[in-house]
Amino acid sequence: MSIFLSNEIIVFLLIEIILVVLMAISQFNIITILRHWDFNATTPLQYALEKKNYLVNTILYFTVTCKVVLFFFFIQSLNALSGIVPGAMCSAGVVGSNHYGNALLLLKLLLIFGFGLWLIINKLDLLHITFPYLKRKYTLFTVLFLGVLGEFVLEMLYFSNIPLTVPVFCCSVVFQAPRLPFGYTQTLLVLFFYTLLGAIILLNHLKQTMASFTCNLLFLFIAYYAITYFFGLYIYEMPNHKCPYCMLQKEYYYIGYLIWGSLFLGIFFGIMPFLIERITQKSYVYLLKYSSMCLIVTALICSFYVVRYYLMTGVFL
Amino acid sequence: MSKILIQNLHKLYNPNKPNAFYALKNINLIVEDAQIVILKGVSGSGKSTLLSLIGGLSKPSEGKIVINGQNIAKLPDIMSSAFRHKEIGFIFQSFNLLEGLSVYQNILAPLALTTLDKEAIHEKVSRAMQLANIEHKKDQNVGSLSGGERQRCAIARAVVMEPEIILADEPTANLDKENALIFIEILKKFKALHKTVIIATHDTLFDDLGVIDRCVQMRDGELLE
Repeated sequence: MSIFLSNEIIVFLLIEIILVVLMAISQFNIITILRHWDFNATTPLQYALEKKNYLVNTILYFTVTCKVVLFFFFIQSLNALSGIVPGAMCSAGVVGSNHYGNALLLLKLLLIFGFGLWLIINKLDLLHITFPYLKRKYTLFTVLFLGVLGEFVLEMLYFSNIPLTVPVFCCSVVFQAPRLPFGYTQTLLVLFFYTLLGAIILLNHLKQTMASFTCNLLFLFIAYYAITYFFGLYIYEMPNHKCPYCMLQKEYYYIGYLIWGSLFLGIFFGIMPFLIERITQKSYVYLLKYSSMCLIVTALICSFYVVRYYLMTGVFL
Repeated sequence: MSKILIQNLHKLYNPNKPNAFYALKNINLIVEDAQIVILKGVSGSGKSTLLSLIGGLSKPSEGKIVINGQNIAKLPDIMSSAFRHKEIGFIFQSFNLLEGLSVYQNILAPLALTTLDKEAIHEKVSRAMQLANIEHKKDQNVGSLSGGERQRCAIARAVVMEPEIILADEPTANLDKENALIFIEILKKFKALHKTVIIATHDTLFDDLGVIDRCVQMRDGELLE
């Protein structure tokens, strides 16, 4: 077993190390800023902190943006790894090849949402002369930084424990009967999917940020299973191919990027207004409009495959 | 209300290093609206540093600079640039003109960042050229101008945005006596237009000049009033 599995992984890990080091330097300065910041003071310390704040902001804006972009590179690198991990046909096999893969992916997703929130708060903070959200922004980053450290440890454990000789399970339910959480049936899952989507669109229209936040989180969970265990079957046109990753591949015209991308963006825009309200006491409800738009795109694409399959064959899977 | 209020201002270069030194020490100064103030002192006395701080070109190490009720030392860089663009006109010793462009184009440069229409821009540029008496050279390349003409072009550029405050750093240092006197005449026009003007100079030409409201002496980074 080796951590240097492919060129992509080496590049990925090198970039991760650079970003973690830059974030650690920023975090060190953030602690000083959080302890001594007093915007109204005109002391040498405050002016020095303002310069530091400018530098830290620049570094963080760069690193946080890089982390978001790097997530896509990570997914792409996992796909590429399927060529050297025995038994893996796509990222599903690579992610599930050890205990750390799924936890790492989940943590990365949570961090992406966190980074998105941080970028918005940062933008709002820089719009004002007095940096009104500085302390909250840096406190949020401190939490995210702990997540980044955890993510880095998980990455090391994950990449160094990918088996290269023992075959892994891929799309592990291919030859098994569908096993859905909480004993759900596919019909119930699809019903939940469309009902919840309708509720979110209505709540977004009514600008109910807290209710939309809750429904969006629930929808993330439901949509993941609905796409993997129901809509995926129609995308692959195979009754037992239940994989969230294969649709990211060329064979399926990379449609997975559009499906997952619009879903995650929709969820992001749906949960952000409530969080931003909590942090800044400012309304950001216009994002709910984008949430509805993105989620409708997800639903339309997914539904298209089902309708198309039915029109072509006259049956449902 | 005072136009410019400077309180307990310090500027330390190379902090926490062996070669650290204070370019400005405990400066306290009030400049009233429409005043013309001269900062006098030898080279290295801190005049230019003070001007750059008032103009928001650099940040102090301590203290505050309040212009129109706003502590400009606290402005983030992007807002500082916007403030400079709108509120301050700079006249530099070395003119800092854009070589290769005509007089008209040089004066027009600050207006290129605005949303004004062509007619309004042309009107403002013409007014600035008239004030600086450089209208007759408007199509000439700045590279072919004499020192005095270059200076007048720089003055026109400084006032084209119609700033309330004009900062001039050694404006007559590169001029002969005749052109220096032309500058004094322009200074009188500034006075008539109720501009607040601060001039850093060691030129004795400004001594006992009627148009000057106040002369402040500087030495080793300190004010000697």
